[in-house]
Amino acid sequence: MALLTGTIAVLGSIFFTPFLMLLLCIIFLASIGKSIGVRRLYIKLLLMIFEYGRANIETAQKNAGLALPAESEDESHGSSNKTAVTSQQPQINGMKKTDVVLTNGNTISRDDKHILVPDLKNGSDDEATVDKDDFDLSNCFDYIKAGMEAIIEDQVTSRFEAEELKNWNLMTRTNRRYEFISWRLTVIWMCGFIIRYCFLFPLRVVICFFGICWLVASTGLLGTIPDCLVKRHLNYWCYMVAFRVMARALSGTIYIRNKHFRPKCGGVCVANHTSPVDVLILSTDNCYSLIGQRHGGFLGVLQRALARASPHIWFERSEVKDRHAVARKLKEHVSNPSNPPILIFPEGTCINNTSVMQFKKGSFEVGSVIYPVAIKYDPRFGDAFWNSSRYSMMQYLYMMMTSWAIVCEVWYLPPMHQKEGESAIDFANRVKGVIAKQGGLVDLVWDGQLKRVKPKKEWMERQQEEFSKRLKVE
Amino acid sequence: MGNRSSLLLREEEISQLQQDTGFTSNQIERLYSRFTSLDRGDYGSLSREDFLRIPEIAINPLGERIVNSFFEGDTGDRVNFRQFLSVLAHFRPVKKNKENKNNSREQKLQFAFKMYDLDNDNMITREELLAILHMMVGANIGEEQLSSIAERTILEADEDGDQKISFEEFCKALQRTDVEQKMSIRFLS
Repeated sequence: MALLTGTIAVLGSIFFTPFLMLLLCIIFLASIGKSIGVRRLYIKLLLMIFEYGRANIETAQKNAGLALPAESEDESHGSSNKTAVTSQQPQINGMKKTDVVLTNGNTISRDDKHILVPDLKNGSDDEATVDKDDFDLSNCFDYIKAGMEAIIEDQVTSRFEAEELKNWNLMTRTNRRYEFISWRLTVIWMCGFIIRYCFLFPLRVVICFFGICWLVASTGLLGTIPDCLVKRHLNYWCYMVAFRVMARALSGTIYIRNKHFRPKCGGVCVANHTSPVDVLILSTDNCYSLIGQRHGGFLGVLQRALARASPHIWFERSEVKDRHAVARKLKEHVSNPSNPPILIFPEGTCINNTSVMQFKKGSFEVGSVIYPVAIKYDPRFGDAFWNSSRYSMMQYLYMMMTSWAIVCEVWYLPPMHQKEGESAIDFANRVKGVIAKQGGLVDLVWDGQLKRVKPKKEWMERQQEEFSKRLKVE
Repeated sequence: MGNRSSLLLREEEISQLQQDTGFTSNQIERLYSRFTSLDRGDYGSLSREDFLRIPEIAINPLGERIVNSFFEGDTGDRVNFRQFLSVLAHFRPVKKNKENKNNSREQKLQFAFKMYDLDNDNMITREELLAILHMMVGANIGEEQLSSIAERTILEADEDGDQKISFEEFCKALQRTDVEQKMSIRFLS
């Protein structure tokens, strides 16, 4: 027993100093905003290992005779434009991601007109000009086929679950198909497991803890200073340092593009939402004011800390329902040109980063300049999506910290203004389209709230209306 | 997190399903992955709510009818993977020069016929036709006009004068429709 404690004491003292040095080094680098490239090297190494793993799996499957060549189901009927819904993956730092990731949308080929959407364009077809046909027994075939296609693969339900990877990235949680492939792969997986859980995880927890302490301490100190230019500059610096340290806690490798379009004070920044980590990612490069529901627990601590040093908008749940209060506070905030840009996620909920869903019009009615930002995560290194119905915040953070890394690309897009006579909804859709295009995401009209609520009856009535328009009646 | 891997399909099951339905093993795997993701509670079977949770089905005017087609016969309130596959097998494209067990033209027509024939008596009556029309047009067309549409449709298809459409009359009325294309779903792999 004494021997054990003795060994632990010796090991502790041997590792303590280098550990402390490592910590100080990380914090110093975070404060000046530079990186020595350790994480990028790490990413490159991981990619080589994944490639090796993939080749290994393929040879093993071939040997076992499992991978049968797919029968050609091609009976191409006619020339109707069938769109296979894919999304082009952007390049990350010169590494082409050709078909490494399987986006949901590749099972069947769907004809555009068979995909039902909720809000068909109002009044697109005048009653008089539509070709009307008599009712035929085959009229329901279209609906049946659309329904069956939707059952096999639809555009919406897959967005609320983690994206499926085409090739395994050596983590148990993404393993859906393989039981045992080969000894070499198992050994690699074991090593990866040990590294992630026994080495990276404790390190990351310590760094994260330090980051949070820094945030709470610095904002506490800043809270005592009255509002002035010095305070704002200090807040800018402390805020970014805190989040840079926390980003390192997740091995966050962030590639930022178009830095000249970085959001400026007095504007509104909108981005697609995947998880609360989005805030962390964006905050490593710029200071924002945040808006959201007041939380308890871990997030609540951060929220209160932040509110001491700079203006943020935190709502009680009951107030969220009062849209006027939200709009009013928002207007107040952006009318002051010295306030940091306010960061809003108009989708209102977390989506799995393969698509952009309906933007709520509230933030587009304020009348200020909009800075769109597109965020795209690389899912091979760790899935950033927070499935709030399945995992709590703590579970999610645990999974984040035991992933390989969080790798993402951020694009700042040129600022946009509402055009003359353009409604808030059209403006929102325009911004959404721009973000989707840049990030290589699918642009959907569906509401992200479908995660929790049922579709509205009006949408079905719209479909019925459309059908009735085409029916000839005496 | 670990429940997915415990529901992996066995090889023997896959080859059995291949034989019965005609899907390739790739397609069966993808459909199984879809089945498990629709199965929210991890029961190994799907209920009507699981289907209706798909927004595109919920707004489809014939959505409920389509979902019911999975629950035909004695399957009770839940559908397992085998039953799920056997219904979808009807929508495989027709292959020339190969045996088409579940997806021949006649089988596809049979499936469509069952959509209309609510009480499964092998006859489409005027009321059943009206019911489907109601589902498809909602409140946008008046009762009288719908009735006349239904009557005219039956008149055109009915040959033996019993004011109902039998399966043979149904097939004859759809002679010139490209059923193979309209009721087939093309897989990408």
